[in-house]
Amino acid sequence: MQALTPYKDAIDIVKEAGGEAFEQCYQCGLCSGTCPWNLVTSFIVRRLIHQAQLGLVDFEDDDLWLCATCGACVARCPRGVEIIDIMRAMRNVVAEVGAAKVPDSLRITAKNIASAGNPQGEAREIRGNWAEESKVKTFTEGTELLYFSCCVPAYDPKVRRIAQATAGILNKAGVDFGILGAKESCCGESIRKAGNESIFQSLANSNIQAFTESGVSKVLVSSPHCYHTFKNEYPALGGNFEVVHTAQYLLELIRDQKLKLTKELNKKVAYQDPCYLGRHNGIYDEPREVLRSIPGLELIELPDSREESICCGGGGGRIWIETKKGERFSDLRLEQAIEAGAEILAVACPYCMLNFDDSVLTMDKGEIIEIRDISELVWGAI
Amino acid sequence: MSEFEPSILCFACNWCSYAAADIAGTSRIHYPPNVRLLRVMCSGMVDAEYVMKALEAGFDGVMVAGCHIGDCHYISGNIKAQEMVTRLKKLLHILGLEDERLMLKWIATSEGPIFAETIKEYVEQLKKLGPSPFRKELVT
Amino acid sequence: MGGNITAEALDRDERRIGVYICHCGLNIADTVDVEAVANYAGTLNSVAVARDYRFMCSDPGQDLIKNDIKELNLNRVVVASCSPRMHEPTFRKACEAASLNPYLFEMANIREDCSWVHDDREVATQKAKALVRAAVARVYYNDPLEIKEIPFNPDTLVVGGGIAGIQAALEIADSEHKVYLVERDPSIGGHMIQLDKTFPTLDCSQCILTPKMAAVGAHPYIELLSYSEVEEVSGFVGAFKVKVRKKARYVDEDKCTGCGLCQEKCPWTADSEYDVGLSKRKAIYTPFAQAIPNVPVIDRDSCAYFLKGKCRACEKFCETGAIDFEQVDQFIELEVGAIILATGYDAFDPSTISQYGYGIYDNVITGLQFERLSAATGPTGGEIRLKDGRKPESVAIIHCVGSRDQNYHEYCSRVCCMYGLKVAHIVKDKTNADVYEMYIDMRCFGEGYEEFYKRVSEEGVNFIRGKVAKVTDKAVSEEEEGKLVVICEDTLLGSIIRVPVDMVVLCIALEARSDAEEVARKFIISRRADGFFLERHVKLDPVATPSDGVLIAGCCQGPKDIPDTVVQASAAAARVLAMISKGRVTLEASVSHVNEDLCIGCGRCEELCEFHAPKVGIYEKPMPVSRVNEALCKGCGACAVACPTGAISIKHFKPEQILAMVDALAET
Ligand SMILES: Cc1cc2nc3c(=O)[nH]c(=O)nc-3n(C[C@H](O)[C@H](O)[C@H](O)COP(=O)(O)OP(=O)(O)OC[C@H]3O[C@@H](n4cnc5c(N)ncnc54)[C@H](O)[C@@H]3O)c2cc1C
Ligand code: FES
Repeated sequence: MQALTPYKDAIDIVKEAGGEAFEQCYQCGLCSGTCPWNLVTSFIVRRLIHQAQLGLVDFEDDDLWLCATCGACVARCPRGVEIIDIMRAMRNVVAEVGAAKVPDSLRITAKNIASAGNPQGEAREIRGNWAEESKVKTFTEGTELLYFSCCVPAYDPKVRRIAQATAGILNKAGVDFGILGAKESCCGESIRKAGNESIFQSLANSNIQAFTESGVSKVLVSSPHCYHTFKNEYPALGGNFEVVHTAQYLLELIRDQKLKLTKELNKKVAYQDPCYLGRHNGIYDEPREVLRSIPGLELIELPDSREESICCGGGGGRIWIETKKGERFSDLRLEQAIEAGAEILAVACPYCMLNFDDSVLTMDKGEIIEIRDISELVWGAI
Repeated sequence: MSEFEPSILCFACNWCSYAAADIAGTSRIHYPPNVRLLRVMCSGMVDAEYVMKALEAGFDGVMVAGCHIGDCHYISGNIKAQEMVTRLKKLLHILGLEDERLMLKWIATSEGPIFAETIKEYVEQLKKLGPSPFRKELVT
Repeated sequence: MGGNITAEALDRDERRIGVYICHCGLNIADTVDVEAVANYAGTLNSVAVARDYRFMCSDPGQDLIKNDIKELNLNRVVVASCSPRMHEPTFRKACEAASLNPYLFEMANIREDCSWVHDDREVATQKAKALVRAAVARVYYNDPLEIKEIPFNPDTLVVGGGIAGIQAALEIADSEHKVYLVERDPSIGGHMIQLDKTFPTLDCSQCILTPKMAAVGAHPYIELLSYSEVEEVSGFVGAFKVKVRKKARYVDEDKCTGCGLCQEKCPWTADSEYDVGLSKRKAIYTPFAQAIPNVPVIDRDSCAYFLKGKCRACEKFCETGAIDFEQVDQFIELEVGAIILATGYDAFDPSTISQYGYGIYDNVITGLQFERLSAATGPTGGEIRLKDGRKPESVAIIHCVGSRDQNYHEYCSRVCCMYGLKVAHIVKDKTNADVYEMYIDMRCFGEGYEEFYKRVSEEGVNFIRGKVAKVTDKAVSEEEEGKLVVICEDTLLGSIIRVPVDMVVLCIALEARSDAEEVARKFIISRRADGFFLERHVKLDPVATPSDGVLIAGCCQGPKDIPDTVVQASAAAARVLAMISKGRVTLEASVSHVNEDLCIGCGRCEELCEFHAPKVGIYEKPMPVSRVNEALCKGCGACAVACPTGAISIKHFKPEQILAMVDALAET
């Protein structure tokens, strides 16, 4: 028999890493019951928190890397425990204090981001290449709007269409905008959630410096993750910029009649609430409004939507970790969408796009349903 | 020269903060002797004139301590105190006094340790700030 | 003992202050050089004598003061000892005994404020001197204040006729003092009359309550005002004036014999409040058979005559002609000495927790609805039945619904664990269904409660520790088909568990009445952050409120079970009886005072006073001025601060007194 003893140093180390919220937890287990992982496998969130309370976290445990930081548990938690902070702190103890080994894929990603400023490890110089066809200028002092595409559309040819559609729309609407190209770095939101606090800090500082030097005051983003960190995390580091997500900005353009949506799209469309736009930032209505403005489009609601939305599985650094077939939330969600009769699943986040595109492919549903970013749908309707 | 020791006048509400100071006493929680307590029946009883007088008389800091919002023995006296302090701070600002010279704090009866801690922190804060400009005028 | 009499201060009209420094054994003397302080005090302006003594609060200590007052003609006294919150009353009495007005006394706190919190003897002595200096400076300006008394009205108002109000009313009335019991509903009884059995003894709720209700109805000293609400309260302890609205019943209470024919004949129905929507009642109804008073009311919102101008069936059948469609609300003015608030609680509405499916799935019900199902007087005659009439084969009981959850109520509702166990027992007893209790912690603290928990465990109830995440009808296996599936983490197993059941009972929270804010404002009391009425002191005075003469009892002060409710109601009654027995009330002497020569009648004082004490009007002068009703004033001082002309001051807290202290404390 082996008895355990609470280990004070280990309690403190998680606290110091920013996880002190575990002190508020009264172990009711509502988080486990709410967590989408338990729709596909087992993930006892509460147990991890209890281990943190007693300093008995097994840092080798793969469970540490499961949380997609979707925030469903935090929204319901009866004590308001910031569970994501606890997860982040425990990962930080692995990633930066070296308590155990970081999963390989994450380690490589972290290295890429640290050296190249993007998770793909691509050259900085080609970050702006997507924009060549779209005739996008470089942001200079006096330009009104900075468009920050996110690394995924910038480098991933499969997802590039988001950035290109957005640029097309902006040009059409006569918006004075530009990109910073090689001066941009990854926003750092996800690598921070994966525990790499220092990488996040240097990314954030470099972006803040680049934005400030170029005289940026307003940033348009395609990714809710960029949105979240620019809006809620950068100010603490001295970066105060006005941030808008395409869903909000497109609605503004439509309302101000700078965009006229005339081409019909006679399809049933379901909308996936991205966790970082919805639960984390309370933006539910704008993307739906945008979709409803497209003539002919029939908007349908998925069974678990808005506050109850199920995550695509891509947050918290999970986008860089392989999820086993049969355990992918995006597969579940795609089935829900198909069952609800959707012909298009509209997304508003590049991570959602990656995950759902993959689900369509691996589940062989390409004939029944397609994945489209809201910007693409709007672009198609002009 | 010995270190500057700021003097503090604390208007303490009879029902909470004054009682909290009593608890600090019965629990023998020590705090710096720089503070003088003046018991009032409610923080809402403290007139701006009293605060001004205290600053003129040479106190480096004045603290108004009352019950937490919602707990005032007279329902809303502490809200009135809050309004008075906000108004007076603007005036003090014009007169060139630092914001910290006037402090408003809610301390419940049971919060003896918090009372002691508050005094400690306030003394430190005022030490950093140095003697009140009013006090210097007094000296010269 | 040291003494020091200053010779020059023997002039008769002068202030002649006696100062007494207490050693408090070694409590003060250990840290403060008491003798030095006494010597110092002797040098202060107007001080006639200054002494130090071992225990000032002892009889010889007090005698010292009394003798000096007489022999040295002292007209002011200062004692430097412990906190005034401790011994101010003691020394004030000593002064009074020597014919010195007690308000000419002042205290300096050199123990809690000085010797107990500092250790450097020199510094502490210095501070003690300052505190004494300030007390002397203040007492110089103290005025003698008149202590006023008024007779206490021995009649009492009780608001709310649940078990709390019933208990309090009966205890006061039994001592042959008049009680007005105001109940908002058509009948008294409150929530307790809806309950089936009561934990932990399982005695029948109605059987123990109805005799008390009948006693209220028949009591010669109780005037029951049912279907009534308090409109306005004015006055103060000992002499409150209360205006009550008696809502129109459309039935003449004197003529009605309670035969029930009208209800039988009435063709119109609405959801029964008593059965929490599980059955229907008529448009003319008594909420339940044993109602007190046994006189129906007509509900305008469901009566066809009021809605469409046609029907009057009840009128046709009433043999005594008691139906009166012309009745209007009546207003009754009462005068009482004390008020007991016993307005109880609201049951939490669980439909806001959408994931539990209340209001979506038929067989998700609240604990209160379960009580009605299980009661012999309920819609199923006491049979536990699903909506479709089947007997449930399995039941889940979900704890802490709306309690212990900062998204709803952060507090624990204190009765839910126990009524959850009670539900489990009744289900087992009546249906032998499988029972699952999903709890977070089991709180079984009362007499016989833990034993009841054991008993229920032995009946084969399954306990699952975990807060339920979801109730759904989406089956993922065959055995879940057609069932409600309760999903949570079983935190003791450390795995997610899905329990298919036929019925889900939600142990809903007890919350403050939706109109608690309005009621609190009417009676000038405060509420806690959780919405319940605030007691004067959590531990030492849980039945009084900041408003003298207004007491609280039962669940309006916070969730509690029936035994605790009854205890608090009895305590409130005892408080009232004590006031009645004394027969007089002493009014606060340190109250607001208006200098009418300075007052411009602007009315700011009247506007901001929470106690309605100042009133602007034309009194002796031709111009309007403010005058303070001293009986209402609590002496908080807000008006004095707000007065633009400085016309208002608070007796015993005059600006001279406070400014003198500020100056004296600033001196080094
Ligand atoms: C499902 C459930 C089961 C329970 N089971 C048990 C049990 O088995 N054993 C036990 O000990 N406890 C039990 N309790 C707790 C019990 O109900 C309370 O302790 C008790 O009813 C409190 O009585 P009360 O008089 O304070 O309040 P209430 O019963 O709420 O009575 C208040 C009365 O005041 C009236 N009123 C309200 N506002 C006004 C107003 N402004 N003017 C005039 N009248 C007004 C109301 O109409 C009502 O008649 C249970 C509670 C619940 C929810
Ligand atoms: S009574 Fe303490 S602030 Fe009013």
